[in-house]
Amino acid sequence: MRRILFPLFLGVFFLTFQTTWLAFPLIQRFRPDLVIILTLYLGLSYPPISGGMIAFFLGYSMDLFSGNGFGLFTFSRVLLFYGAQFFKDRIYLESSPSQALLVFLFALSEAFVIMLLLKALNPEHLRNLYPLFFTVFLPQSFSTALIAPVFFHLFRKGSSLLFVHPRIEAGKKG
Amino acid sequence: MRIRDFFLFRRYTLYAVILLLLTAVVLMSLRVKERKGVNFMDALLLEICSPFQKASTFVVQEIQETFKKYLILGHLREENEMLKKRIADLQMENYQMKETVMSSERLQRLLQFREKIAPAMIAAEVIGQDPTSWFKSITINKGERDGIRKGMAVISPEGVIGQILKTSPRHSVVLLITDYNSAIDAIVRRTRAKAIVEGRGENRCLLKYLLRAEDVMVGDRVVTSGLSGNFPKGMMIGEIEKVDKKGLGIFQHAELVPSANFTKLEEVLIIKEFPLPPQEEKRKEEQGKKAKGKK
Repeated sequence: MRRILFPLFLGVFFLTFQTTWLAFPLIQRFRPDLVIILTLYLGLSYPPISGGMIAFFLGYSMDLFSGNGFGLFTFSRVLLFYGAQFFKDRIYLESSPSQALLVFLFALSEAFVIMLLLKALNPEHLRNLYPLFFTVFLPQSFSTALIAPVFFHLFRKGSSLLFVHPRIEAGKKG
Repeated sequence: MRIRDFFLFRRYTLYAVILLLLTAVVLMSLRVKERKGVNFMDALLLEICSPFQKASTFVVQEIQETFKKYLILGHLREENEMLKKRIADLQMENYQMKETVMSSERLQRLLQFREKIAPAMIAAEVIGQDPTSWFKSITINKGERDGIRKGMAVISPEGVIGQILKTSPRHSVVLLITDYNSAIDAIVRRTRAKAIVEGRGENRCLLKYLLRAEDVMVGDRVVTSGLSGNFPKGMMIGEIEKVDKKGLGIFQHAELVPSANFTKLEEVLIIKEFPLPPQEEKRKEEQGKKAKGKK
């Protein structure tokens, strides 16, 4: 149960941090998305069912506090989680650059999915939506990717401290 | 089967993927179709998360205040001299304004306008901003218990801010006019040209459905038309920054800079009710009578 509750609280904490401390006007375009880093970490290290549920909850919370009235993040975050699950055994993710690259690509993919959905679901024709990809999505994905390795390291440390697995003592087993 | 076993059991993975994605799609279609989500869940989560936001915003504001005070001390002398000059200018301006107000009052009496009643408003504090950079919203510390409902107009002394998007008992989310999903009925103050103000993100709005024949120029002020029902007539939205008459069609486009500074928002006002202009009130009364007559 701890393995589920802890990331949930951490998600709420990150969301709060993002909506208050990181809402600084000067860094608007470069504001990193901490919740996406957590979602991807869960995708790489958590079991598919409990992790998927947490990703769903995190996406739902994002939708709740954002001006997005369609509930796009609930969908995109679950998709990201399973995307990370799919790639976790197929790519090398031990080095910081590879982690940053993974987060960058996933953040960009999410932005692209959200833009497509926004375009498709909006009854009105949205003008000048695609330039946002370069002016908002790209800087944000980049800043998110830059800090991702640090957070991955912290998550790993934290989970090894919190969820200690009992060691199998070879001698005793005989 | 134990709960832990269930969560870790891989046989159910495919079902879980399908179920979660399907639920997300169903939620999305619900929101698109009816423009609302699962109200109970929304309200519950908003209530759980908002106190954290409130506490965090309090800490941020305290730090900002301390920082500002420190900076102010540094520039106090320069600012003092500047303020003295400013007071002299403002006094002059004040005399002129008083004259204008008096003449305007005389004109109002002459036109036999009804006495203006101040609209019922609720003041609220901004406790959080949008977690993403591409959508534009804020969270405020007033909700359904204070009489706030979806769609209510949100303003500040500088101008229009947006509309209530989601509510919970004690908190609400406001969709800013700069968001892509926002649209408000407006008129250009100088020429009375009608248009729709749509959000464009990045502190910009777009004036849509503005007839090409209309005379609109940079610097023109845009105000609410009062036709959308939520906003009273004549509330300042912003100033036209760019006019685009290129291309074919019967409409021209104009870019608008909102008069309110969304990055420095701390308090907002929510309009609960507002008095209708005399003509519209009469029209409504007549419509009501007609409807009763038909019954």
